[in-house]
Amino acid sequence: MIAVYILPVVFLAVILVAALRKVKVYDSFAEGIQGAIPLVLSLFPYIAAILILSSLFEASGLSAALERALSPAFSFLGIPPEISRLVLIKPFSGSGSAAVLSEILTEYGADSYIARCASVVYASGETVFYVSAVYFAKLKKKTPLAPVLIALASNFAAILFGCLLCRVL
Amino acid sequence: MNVLFIAVFLASSAAVLLSSPESFLPALLSGAEDALRLGVTLAAVYTVWLGFLKIAEDAGLMRALARGLRPATSRLFGTKDERALGYIAVNLSANFLGMGGAATPAGVSAMNLLDAAENRAYAQAMLFVVNCAGVQLLPATVISLREKYGSASSYDVIVPILLASLLSLALGALLVKLVYGRKKK
Repeated sequence: MIAVYILPVVFLAVILVAALRKVKVYDSFAEGIQGAIPLVLSLFPYIAAILILSSLFEASGLSAALERALSPAFSFLGIPPEISRLVLIKPFSGSGSAAVLSEILTEYGADSYIARCASVVYASGETVFYVSAVYFAKLKKKTPLAPVLIALASNFAAILFGCLLCRVL
Repeated sequence: MNVLFIAVFLASSAAVLLSSPESFLPALLSGAEDALRLGVTLAAVYTVWLGFLKIAEDAGLMRALARGLRPATSRLFGTKDERALGYIAVNLSANFLGMGGAATPAGVSAMNLLDAAENRAYAQAMLFVVNCAGVQLLPATVISLREKYGSASSYDVIVPILLASLLSLALGALLVKLVYGRKKK
């Protein structure tokens, strides 16, 4: 698999070029790292707020109820009802959707139509609420709703399109 | 976002109150624990990537990348801010190559620099929406998961995934242009 080579090669190439251009690689590396902890500290409150909300939403049974309510609509639009849980959890939690994807792959077989749809749902969009928490965390103007809605809508369109592609390809 | 937060929080709290009030605090705490665990992971990820990005920046590679992508990025984001375009270039290429750890810190830096831009709301919305589309050359997580669960052709989802994310990208960018373009006038 080619993917495993990308990272080491990129690192190797960058450090080699840096060394040839007389960059003090050790000092630069340490200087860059300085920003890591402050970055996490500034993002943490927003990440925590989103994750606490998701956990409460899950525990309340509302997410399960929403899943039951939306399944028929999803299957009308061409999304297999077996993956509606994944579609709903995807915008909230990356680790949560990875767990759901694993369950689907185990239950229906990794090469089934359902598993392929689930793979497309998992990989064709980002964890919208999490990204919004991170990207808008440090700004003066707090997270606007319009970009979040746009991202959710276009990712949903991508899911519909992806499930359709899985059927014909 | 505040409206959304209040609405979901109130609805969930009410539902918990009716079904199982004792699970209210544990649910909040487990979310907070998830956040702490994620925070530790992110600190490690950013430590490696921010160090690496600084080397790339000092070697002039970030400027080279930014120059290469500038015709596309400066038009899409409507800004001429060199440093912001540099971080945007790193953010987009890192995402495309599946290096999420490098993409996020670069993206956050770009967002902060764009705060000073004239068309702040538009550029920030665009960067966020483009990131949410998740366009990726090789969806490595999915492929390795499928292989783990015994797929015979783990790569056959690459094309649908790529096409679907490209649709999300195009649609998202178009909607941002429509929404923010109209507001400006």
